[in-house]
Order: sequence, then structure tokens, then C-alpha cells
Amino acid sequence: MAAVLITSCQNDDTDFSEYINGGQSGVTTISIAYNGTSVSITGDTKGYVTTNGADVTVNATNSTDSLLLVLSGTTTDGSLLIFREKQFGIKLNGVSINNNDGPAINNQCSKALYLDVADGTTNTLTDGTSYNESVSYQQKGTLFSEGQIYFLGTGTLKVTGNSKNAIACDDYIIMDQATVYANTTTGNGIKVNDGLWINGGALNIGVTADGGRGIKCDSTVTINGGTTIISTSGDCVYDSDEQDYSSAACIKCDYDFTMTAGKLVMNSSGDGGKGLNCSTKVAFSGGELTATTIGSNDNGKPKAVKGDGGIIVSGGTFKANVNKSWACDNGTDSELPEDHLTVTGSPQTATITKKSVEITY
Amino acid sequence: MFKRLAAAALILTSALPMTAQSEGGMYMSVEAEKKIDKKLSVSLEAAMRTRNNFKTMDRWSLDLGAEYKFNKWLKAEAGYMLMDQNNREKINYKTTGAYDTWRPSYWQLRHRVYASLTGTLKLGNNFKVSLRERWQYTYRPEMTTQRWDFDDEAWEDKVRESKGKHVLRSRLTLSYDKKQALLSPYANIELYNGWGIEKVRYTVGTDIRLSKQHSLTTFYRFQDIRNASPEEYDPDMHYVGVGYKFKF
Repeated sequence: MAAVLITSCQNDDTDFSEYINGGQSGVTTISIAYNGTSVSITGDTKGYVTTNGADVTVNATNSTDSLLLVLSGTTTDGSLLIFREKQFGIKLNGVSINNNDGPAINNQCSKALYLDVADGTTNTLTDGTSYNESVSYQQKGTLFSEGQIYFLGTGTLKVTGNSKNAIACDDYIIMDQATVYANTTTGNGIKVNDGLWINGGALNIGVTADGGRGIKCDSTVTINGGTTIISTSGDCVYDSDEQDYSSAACIKCDYDFTMTAGKLVMNSSGDGGKGLNCSTKVAFSGGELTATTIGSNDNGKPKAVKGDGGIIVSGGTFKANVNKSWACDNGTDSELPEDHLTVTGSPQTATITKKSVEITY
Repeated sequence: MFKRLAAAALILTSALPMTAQSEGGMYMSVEAEKKIDKKLSVSLEAAMRTRNNFKTMDRWSLDLGAEYKFNKWLKAEAGYMLMDQNNREKINYKTTGAYDTWRPSYWQLRHRVYASLTGTLKLGNNFKVSLRERWQYTYRPEMTTQRWDFDDEAWEDKVRESKGKHVLRSRLTLSYDKKQALLSPYANIELYNGWGIEKVRYTVGTDIRLSKQHSLTTFYRFQDIRNASPEEYDPDMHYVGVGYKFKF
């Protein structure tokens, strides 16, 4: 017992002694300017950065300072790889990065990445058709982060995935601002593990792969603003483990989908393609949601809005339309269209048929 | 017996998955209980808790309680607990990711009163199931702490206002309770309900009857934090607990 008490006397605060004692202040700002197959680094007073051609590695693992990386310039074969244990910021200041064999930006920090898409700039991130997998860290997309991503700024970011996902995050993503394009021919537009919140900005996703998802989220998706436009064109893929067909979907989330404001437009054209495919509850209380699937039902069952735990519409403008199968599917076996979703309150107009549901408050 | 238990605890804690969002900690308690009559008893318990993978003291407490058994299947409890809590540091960030302010960890006294009802059902073969519903009210007095402002590079006063909180705790326990048996294992799940489920505790353990007066308890507990704010660091906890009880 005495041993337990002795070893329990440590303080678990972050060590800010350097700041308090006057040795550290402000933010360490490192400018990374890409120029073809080379890169110019300024502001690296702590020695965090190493380069190999236009491949940049920032190793700030043991540092406690505030860190901001400012990216600019253009490279046709370069990258940015970050190792760190504290949250930090990246400012995309008119940068274009193409990495032929891996992610354009790979954040290996499990804490928050504040991604500032600088006002008035257009930034592009692309990858090659295959990755160098002989590395010890994960590479799940053209823009990949182990930690949370906060999208800020009013600039434009275009991310293209030619090998895996366009944007992938092992934590959650919060989008407050920025105009983001995520397009991929191979994976998902955005693959995120712990939740996606869209509070503002503009998000445009285009996915063409069979079974591909515009947004694939292992947790909840919440839309409180902004404009989100997603299109998928892929057909179903056969999943030999599940022994069933897996459809493309504009949004696939494993937990609740909630929308209170903003605009969401989903278009799916492949066989069995779905608009919103939610494994639990869909709760729509405001904003505009338009989901349209025009695909066939040869192998899959196209649905505009599917919520296995219920679809509850209580406000806003809700439009779901299909060419085949059901516009809305809440898991019921009923053949009555009105049983396929729950409408509460007093909408101004409500037209509910098997292939078309349009409700306006 | 105790060497084996200590070894088991060490093995268990070393195998715990200490992820970035979970920590390990220890519960230790010493309790004295006095029977007033067949139905009424009072108790006094001193306890401590650690966090940060057992390296940091988290809380001390003194709990004065009373228990009244209406009959074989229903009992009530009430009590007062004085706690000294080591509140974790709080770091605020600017939207660029830069540090804004830092409030270091600090100790603060809290006062808690509680009352509970427990219903027990015997299932046969010495198994029983019980449900405890506990209401608790915890009061935190106002306190002024120091906070570091990174822009001003100076300490500033930060007043934490007093706050009271009601919580309803619902605990369902399955236990094996054979008279005179050395071990009485149990497993329970407890929900903490404030304005929604805030945390869930899963516990497996056993009481160890050393004699009529002396007993030990040991357990493993997983505390699952729900609805945590992304800005607050409130990790899931893996606890290993050891307690001693003396009955007068």
C-alpha cells in the first residue's frame, strides 16, 4: 500500500515551465514552400524538419510549444508527414501537393489538427494510384489524420484520391468553414471514425467506385449548417464475408444522422445506390435535404433515405425520390408508404408515396 | 492467498489497454461498521483513488453512512461524504491551435449527501440479484484559482463558481453469497444519470471473508464516460480496487 501511495504523488499537468519561466512564447511557425521537386523551409528554429527532395517530415514529437505549419507552392512529387503528440495547426496558403506513392498530407498526431484553408487561396492535394506500403505508419487517404481535423478558413481545398480515400480521419472531423472538394475513383470521399460535424462551409464530394461512399462514418453524422453536395455513381460490390451486396451511398453512418440546418443534396446513380444509409436513427428537424437515387435494383436495393432505427422528420424541407425500390426505409416491412418514416408536427405540405417523399414545414 | 491476489492484480493492470483516451487507476478503502441493532448499522469509510495510470492522486474521501434493513429484501441507506478532489488541468486553445490559457490542476473540497434504496431477489443456489437506486447531491464551493494567459504571459485569477449537481445512480448486481464462504464474487453495472447517461461502470470483483469481523474486497472496474465534450479531457478509466472492512 505504501508503494502505491509513493508512486501516486506525480502531477499529471502538462509541463509549461518553459513558458512560465520566460523561455518560450508564442507560436513556432514553420513555412514550407514547395517548388517542383524541392522545398524551401524557413522558421524551423527547433530543428523539427527534415527533407528528401520535396518530401517533408516534421518530427515535433516531444515538444510542447504551439506549432503552425504554413504550406505554399507546388510540387508534382512531394508530401508532408507530421509526428507530434500535441495539437497543432496547418495553414494551406495556396499549395498544390501531388504525392505519387502516398498521402499528400499525413498527420500522425493523435490530437487535433487545425486545418486553416487560407482566405482567397485554392489548394490541391492529390495522390498516385498506388502507395509505398513499406512504412511503419498508416496511410489511409490523400489527406490522412490520426487525430481530429477542424476545417477553418474561407479558402478552397480540392482533395483527390486515386488510390484510397480522398480524406481519411481516425478520429472526428468538424467542419466550420472552408470550401472542400473530395473526389475519388477508388475509395470513399471522406472516411471518418469517430463522428463528422458540418457546421458551415461548403463540402462537395464525388465518388465513382463500386460500393464507394461519399461519407463513410463509423459513428454519428451531424449537419448544423453549410452546403453539402454528394454524388456517387458506383454499383454494388459483392462482399464475400457478408455474402451480400454492399451498395454505394452518399452518406453511410453506423450511428445517428442528425440534421438541424444547412443544405444537403445527395445523388446516387449506380445499381442499388443509396442516398443516406444510416444504421440507427435519422433525425431531420431543419434545413433542406434532397436525396435522389436513379439506379437500378439488379443486385442492390436503392433507397433515398434509409434509417434502420427510424426516420423522423420534424422540420425543414425533406425530399427523397427514387426510380426503383423505396424512397424511405425505416426498417418496416409494411407496404404502406406512410409507415416508412415518422412525420411529426404540422408540415405545410406532405406528399408520401413509395417512390417519392416530399415534406415541407 | 494474498500473494496470489496481488500477483493477479499486477497481471491484470499490466494487461489493461491504456489507450490515449483511457487511463488506469486504483481504488483503496478502509471501512469500519457498527451494528446498532438487527436493522440499523452505521459505518465510516476512508477511501482514495488514483488516475494517470496509477501515478497521480485523484481523490480522498470520508464517508459517514447509515443503513436500515426493512426486511430481507429491502434496505435503505443515507450518508454524507466529504471529498477532496484533484481537478485536472484545463488547456484552452485558439482556433489556430495555439495555446490560449492554461489552468493547472488543483485540489478542492466537495460535499455530497446521498440516499438509496436497494431491493434484493434470491435466485437460488446462493445467487442473488439486487438493484440499488441512489440519489446523490454534490456541492462544490466557489473557489479562485490561477490561470496562465499565453498572450499576456502572466497569471490571472479565475473564479470557479459554486455548483451543485444531482445524479441518479442505478446499479444492478449479480452476486454469489454463500454463508461462511471465503469468496463472494459479484458483477454489477451502474448507470450515472444526470441530464442523460453520463457514465457507465462495469465491475467484477469478490469479497473475501477473512473472519466474522474482517473482510477484504477486490475488484476490476471499467468506467465508460459518455457524452464527453471534445474540449474536455475525460478519459475512460480502468480501475483496480482493494478494500478492507472491520465490523464491530
